[in-house]
Amino acid sequence: MSTIRDEGLDTLASADPRPPAPGRPSPVAAVARKLVSHYAVVGVWIAMIAVFAGAEPGVFFTGPTFQAIFGSQQALVFLALALLCTISVGEFVDLSVPAVFGFAATILPVLVVNHGWGVWPAALVAVLGAVFVGAINGFLVVVMGVNTIVVTLGMSTLLAGISLWISDMNTISGLPTGFGKIALTDVGGLPISFYYGVVLALGFAYVLGCTPLGRHMRFVGANREVSRLSGIRVNRIRFGSFVVAGAFAGVGAVIDVAALGGFNATTSSSLLLPVFASVFLGTAVVEPGRFNPIGTFVGIYFLATGILGLQLLGLQDWVSDVFYGGVLVAAVTVATVLRRRVG
Amino acid sequence: MTTRRLEVSGLSKTFGRTRALRAVGLEIAPGELHGLVGQNGCGKSTLVKILTGVYSPDPGGSIAVDGRGLALPVRPAAQRAAGVSVVHQNLGLVDDRTVWENVRLGRYQAGRFTRRINRKVERAEAGRILEGLGYRLDVDSPVGRLSAQDRAAVAIARAVQDHRPGGGLVIFDESTRALGCAARGRFFELVRSLTAEGTSVLLISHQLDEVVETTDRVTVLRDGAVVESAVETRDVDEAALTTMMLGRHLASHGRAVSHARGEQVASVRGLATDLVADFDLEVRRGEIVGLTGLVGSGFVEAAEAMTGARRAEAGTLTVDGRELPLDRRRGCTEEFVRAGVAFVPERRLEEGLAGELSVTENLTLPRVRGRGGRLRIGAEWQHAETAAMIERLDIRPPNPRAPVGTLSGGNQQKVLLGKWLAGEPKLLVLHEPTQAVDVGARHDIIDAVREAARGGCGVVLASIDPSDLAVLCDRVLVLRDGRVVGELGGELEPETIAHAVFGGESGPRQENAMADAEEVARQ
Repeated sequence: MSTIRDEGLDTLASADPRPPAPGRPSPVAAVARKLVSHYAVVGVWIAMIAVFAGAEPGVFFTGPTFQAIFGSQQALVFLALALLCTISVGEFVDLSVPAVFGFAATILPVLVVNHGWGVWPAALVAVLGAVFVGAINGFLVVVMGVNTIVVTLGMSTLLAGISLWISDMNTISGLPTGFGKIALTDVGGLPISFYYGVVLALGFAYVLGCTPLGRHMRFVGANREVSRLSGIRVNRIRFGSFVVAGAFAGVGAVIDVAALGGFNATTSSSLLLPVFASVFLGTAVVEPGRFNPIGTFVGIYFLATGILGLQLLGLQDWVSDVFYGGVLVAAVTVATVLRRRVG
Repeated sequence: MTTRRLEVSGLSKTFGRTRALRAVGLEIAPGELHGLVGQNGCGKSTLVKILTGVYSPDPGGSIAVDGRGLALPVRPAAQRAAGVSVVHQNLGLVDDRTVWENVRLGRYQAGRFTRRINRKVERAEAGRILEGLGYRLDVDSPVGRLSAQDRAAVAIARAVQDHRPGGGLVIFDESTRALGCAARGRFFELVRSLTAEGTSVLLISHQLDEVVETTDRVTVLRDGAVVESAVETRDVDEAALTTMMLGRHLASHGRAVSHARGEQVASVRGLATDLVADFDLEVRRGEIVGLTGLVGSGFVEAAEAMTGARRAEAGTLTVDGRELPLDRRRGCTEEFVRAGVAFVPERRLEEGLAGELSVTENLTLPRVRGRGGRLRIGAEWQHAETAAMIERLDIRPPNPRAPVGTLSGGNQQKVLLGKWLAGEPKLLVLHEPTQAVDVGARHDIIDAVREAARGGCGVVLASIDPSDLAVLCDRVLVLRDGRVVGELGGELEPETIAHAVFGGESGPRQENAMADAEEVARQ
């Protein structure tokens, strides 16, 4: 009844009545599709847990397993978020993130153990070193306009070499035990460093989603020319993201060294693939087709669950390479398809 | 002659919702120089791209060369076998390679086992082809060092080398743009020597004077359809062609009263770029000033440079008493945006909007720092601003969360315009704001620009579309070779503007052109 009257008024009021909206799929189907596209990875994660729990009852579904998964990935969280800094402003492949991490993680114990520095000044120098490397990356890529892959690949190898040199290719350990507290203090069954990762991911998500800076970063990542013409200082944001990426890697390194009590410079290169795999896997979570911190966070623990489960099933160390590599390829494919559908 | 060199019939092409070509037909006789003219977006380049196999046409059309039908979509090998070749806008030459490498590109003979290019054979072959055109060039000199006319000769040599003598069809797609006036004479001598032997030529050009002077027959495209098919060129002049190109219906959007007030809102002094020399402009509050000219005349560069989008070599912009240097090293336009300068670029999805982000995010972008807090953008003003612009510009679908890339071209253009109008700019610079949008969207966009002017905003409209300029502008500046060569005011007619742009001559001739146009209009 009322609709008929409204229509009459509408036609009178405007010479240009809007045509009815084209047919839409039913709301139930729309919600279902949204759930699938946003949380498919979470679903797979739960399914994976169920499979492992079924296959290894009494081993997988236990406290130690839970702690092994959630207490062991701090380095990865910091590194993945560092990579996300540059990826979200459109610098696609910063290959140097693990090497910057390794560099900072080597400086700290070398200064303390070999040179007798205090832990805190050494930690500060390690973080500043990582920030400095980030700034060099940023300078070369943004100011000099050198290709990101080449710069960061070269930087990565250079830093790995320097790290091996200053550590004499040895594992350096023997940090004061009190230092470990900043990473290992038990909070609700998990080391406190797990919560650092949570806070960092949430903070990053807030900046990207809610602040002018984050909105600018999104646009710089989506289209530099559009951003420049809209009055955004594109190069400042690009440079800044490299510096912040360095800082994340540096802080992550300090926390990781604190947890381990030392560091072996040869280990950092093995982080490259997991970092990329989780960041790309993250594009299939929460905001499909977009790189996002929460998705990355979920991706990291998804991968950790898979690998630990497979190892508990009796598979050897090679399984992590297979799993990380396979997931990276699959995740990039899914992200590309999702992006194409949106774009 | 009974067989036609090229016979196109019923060719259509649809992109999404827009029909770029509608049942287009085209016939070219052997040895004919055939012109193809039309405004930008009329479908000329789509037609060429179908002929060369870049696009596949909608089912139903046919293309035949020398009476033999080509399978659609056209495959490059079939196109070459049939003897159809294209010389593109920028001539498609690789500047740091030699003449012979450019001529023989894609046809190199290589040793059977070593796969080495046989230089000796190739150089001789390139020399022979050029000689066949009556041209002598050092085949070893890099193309980048050649004069414009020699470069054109290299491009033509590459295009005709596979033709049997007296056969084939060469399409020149705006190729004469790259040539200066002096080189053009020699270029057309070459083209004439081709047609004298029986090769056909399709000349696509914006320069109506050269079309009238050189072609045998001419076909006019408008909005994707042929409006005049193969008219004998001796029966038409530039004025008649202009009228055919524009069509009467385009002027349907009536002129409105000028909102220009006495007070000056912005001025440009001494602007210079690589293409523009010493450009001055004063814009009053509410005034809409048009900038136009041929491609390469510098009107686009002038418009871009005055907004900070392009770096100028010299010049200053004064907006509302605030002075901004235009020759800055920093590329970012932050100060311009703050001073109230808004620039709506032509290439929507490359320079204007991020397609993967939402309507709201795109629309509010220039103000997230100014209106939002440092730590929080704030949702309310974004909703309000977006809703207001969706309403004011009738953006459809009216969904603030839709990714801009999923909207139609016209609605994207509205979002782009809204993005800047919402900031209530003092100087609004538009570049081809109605390009490739449908009639309804064009109407809304024109209304919105007028409304902005009524609000006191100074508007600069850089466009080659005479009907847009006529409908919106209070006065129009015509640029040629980087300088303002004419100013049109009063009651503007599309024909007058088109003549000033396409007419080829400046100064006194322009008066004649206007008189011609009036005569045509009266008929």
